[in-house]
Amino acid sequence: MSLNYDKESIELPSSWKSKSSVLFAVGLALLVIGAVFALFTPSSGNADEQSALRFVTHSYLANYMFVVTIALGALFFVLVQHVARAGWSSSIRRIAELLMSTLPFLAVLFVPIVVLLYANSNALYEWNVREKVHSSVILSKIDAGYLTRNYFTLRALIYFGVWVLMGAVFFNLSRQQDSSGDVELTQRRQKWSGPFIMLFALSASFAAFDWVMSIDADWFSTIFGVYIFAAGMMAFFATMILICMSLQQAGKLQKLVTVEHYHDMGKFMFGFIMFWSYIAFSQLLLYWYANIPEETNWFRERLIDGWQYLAYGLIPLHFAIPFLGTISRHVRRHRSGVAFWAVWVLFAHWLDMTFLVIPNAGPVQLIPLFGHFLGGLGMLAIFIAFFLVRAANVPLVAVRDPRLPEALTYSNPIL
Amino acid sequence: MSEQKPRKAAEPKPPRSCGWMAEFSNEHDLLEASRKVRDAGYTKTDAFTPFPVHGIDEALGIKPTILPFIVLCAGLTGLFTALLMQWWMNGVDYKYIISAKPFGITPASIPVGFELTILFSAFTSVLGMLGLNGLPRFSNAIFTNPRFDRATDDKFFLYVDSRDRYYNRDSVRELLGSTQPESLDEVLEDASPTTLPRPIWLASLLLVLAGLIPAAIVLNMRAGFSDLPRWHVFFDMDFQPKKKPQQTTTIFADGRSMRPQVPGTVARGQLTEQDPFYLGWDPDKKVSAIDGEPKHFVSVQGGGQDAAVGAASPAPQDSATPTQPPADGAAAPMQPPADGGTAPALDLPWLERFPFEPSDADLKLGKTKFEIYCSACHGYSGYGDGLVSKRAASLLQDTWTPPTSLHADRVQKQPVGQIFHTISKGQGKMASYASSLTPKERWAIVLYVKALQRSRNAKIDDIPVEQRSNLTETK
Repeated sequence: MSLNYDKESIELPSSWKSKSSVLFAVGLALLVIGAVFALFTPSSGNADEQSALRFVTHSYLANYMFVVTIALGALFFVLVQHVARAGWSSSIRRIAELLMSTLPFLAVLFVPIVVLLYANSNALYEWNVREKVHSSVILSKIDAGYLTRNYFTLRALIYFGVWVLMGAVFFNLSRQQDSSGDVELTQRRQKWSGPFIMLFALSASFAAFDWVMSIDADWFSTIFGVYIFAAGMMAFFATMILICMSLQQAGKLQKLVTVEHYHDMGKFMFGFIMFWSYIAFSQLLLYWYANIPEETNWFRERLIDGWQYLAYGLIPLHFAIPFLGTISRHVRRHRSGVAFWAVWVLFAHWLDMTFLVIPNAGPVQLIPLFGHFLGGLGMLAIFIAFFLVRAANVPLVAVRDPRLPEALTYSNPIL
Repeated sequence: MSEQKPRKAAEPKPPRSCGWMAEFSNEHDLLEASRKVRDAGYTKTDAFTPFPVHGIDEALGIKPTILPFIVLCAGLTGLFTALLMQWWMNGVDYKYIISAKPFGITPASIPVGFELTILFSAFTSVLGMLGLNGLPRFSNAIFTNPRFDRATDDKFFLYVDSRDRYYNRDSVRELLGSTQPESLDEVLEDASPTTLPRPIWLASLLLVLAGLIPAAIVLNMRAGFSDLPRWHVFFDMDFQPKKKPQQTTTIFADGRSMRPQVPGTVARGQLTEQDPFYLGWDPDKKVSAIDGEPKHFVSVQGGGQDAAVGAASPAPQDSATPTQPPADGAAAPMQPPADGGTAPALDLPWLERFPFEPSDADLKLGKTKFEIYCSACHGYSGYGDGLVSKRAASLLQDTWTPPTSLHADRVQKQPVGQIFHTISKGQGKMASYASSLTPKERWAIVLYVKALQRSRNAKIDDIPVEQRSNLTETK
């Protein structure tokens, strides 16, 4: 099969290629400025210094989860497209492949968290300093050997190792196909996608337990990994939509991404808004019903000290409004409509990560929260910079994918 | 969309034309032809294909259906029906306290709301789809042509209905002919008779009549009287030669079919019932205390509501042994529950000392278990101010009986055996914890309760001299 295409039209715009270092610098600067704001507390003193450090570290973790869940969503998307042998997505799959290829870079951003552990700080993970832990539950988890800095670091290495490996295998096979067009490469990816999805489910779940849930190690929720996964998938589709749209604005991928693709990505985004709500509510309902102190405390912390506005705000912002907003196919087939809701959903995802992590650091303080927001923007800028680095010399479409014709001609039935 | 079929009697008139049907051998020709027909302005058209053809909707100019909006409305109706129903049932009509949860709409209402949303939506989707498609119908004129059978096999058909606004028999034929179909046929009305065959009529009538028979029998029974005894289908199952609990008999002198335990015997698993460690009181002393009464009358069950005990020992309330006021104490509400407030006082030979040597480990165990099982109602300090109690009080439940304060005078005076017995058997509204706690754990809790009581009455002299400074420092 030979495809006639304009090489220019499937490359990153030349003006973008040079932007990655600028974006990276801007992102780092925003992170630092954000941290300065986050360190700001109205009064001074020993206790406040500690609480300021708590806030900064929690802010970093929340913003880190904000982008890493998107990259994980991209990895899962690529895997599941192969497991389902999907044709519709083959013209946009490369974007997701590039997004998942940022995971090795994102692993580097995890290093500060590990350094914090070895600096013997309990600002983020209370369990890190055994002498200051009072809860018998946490003590038992430390003594069981699970919540220890060495094992934690080893597990983080395993998670990143698994993700990077899976991403590299799929990315390299896809790149090889760009030149050879060999169908066998697709078949090999399909063969591995099933086992890889199982590996992904386990590693992503445990990463969510380790990194986010263990900041409050008294609390436990077996559905927590699924919660993070649902949130990440939703944010990933929003990111995909926005990247595709910006590339088309710059004159690329003109006929490769059609309104049908936006419709389908919008459907997925809609579905994962619903799925997130379903998981979040399932988690809440069981704890609410059982009403056992050690289980409800996690929710209590998020319903006092000003956090209740965020907690209750998530119901309309993360569920009701985007749910009703994206329910109509007319919106999903309307580019500016999809773009609006994609931006909304990304912001809601950031709010969600804030909701999960920051209340553990203390009551709401507006100036540090503003710093946290700047940090979120910075982290997003760094993430985009990573994406641009990965995309610099790679065609933005899997040009010789055997299912590409299917992706270019398919259409959603009119219901 | 009911098909109008003129019913001209016997006249052998040619069947009415319903439109034109063009046959194609592949979907590309069909799409091509569809676009032509659409561009010519025809709207009452349809395509029949053996598999879904992408883009056929657009090629035929089919407008999106309004079904999603109908389903959305039905879903919202379902949601609000569920919420209204639950608000009415649990918030207004029959307030029932469940684990101190608020009344009316709670997070627990959402699953039901979700279910009804789905139920209403699903029914509306199916019924709405049928309604909008004009289904069900017994026949369609397009089936009269045998060529059409291949629409489910390998042929593609395009159909223009004669009810179209711009329909003209000749121009449609010409238009379809210009698309080079494999064949072009006029769709003729189904000429077969439209009346139901007589046997089907008869069978339906018979079925309806037969269906009335059970109803008629029931009506007859309800309206009439009968002197005959009840009719037993399985007589030997209804009347078996055996005695059930709580029945009378003439075999035994006391007239009871349930037999009391033979004095001096121990049944399997009953060994523990003779051991003070499992009872909290000494059964051997009991025998001597109630002189002349058969032991089995009192030894089987304790508990505040045990009428046998109450009858067996009418408890002269001597001041030497601590007497027990009505179980729920003075704080009981205006209408004390019949089962709690009026229970006869228990007077058993309680253990005054622990049946083992208490250790520090026992105290720790007691604290752990107390905080898990008891503190929810009795509070961490034992004042009867646990979370459940506070919550019920905040809901202004006039049926709520506050838990007993463990520092009440009468509880302070209770021997350890009696507290053990209360934990094992329950008291008033408090259920038995025997299934959750082993006897050892129950004794450990008694130990902890005693320590709590002691701590509330501690004097400064109780603290070792060298540790008294700690107290003032932390204050």
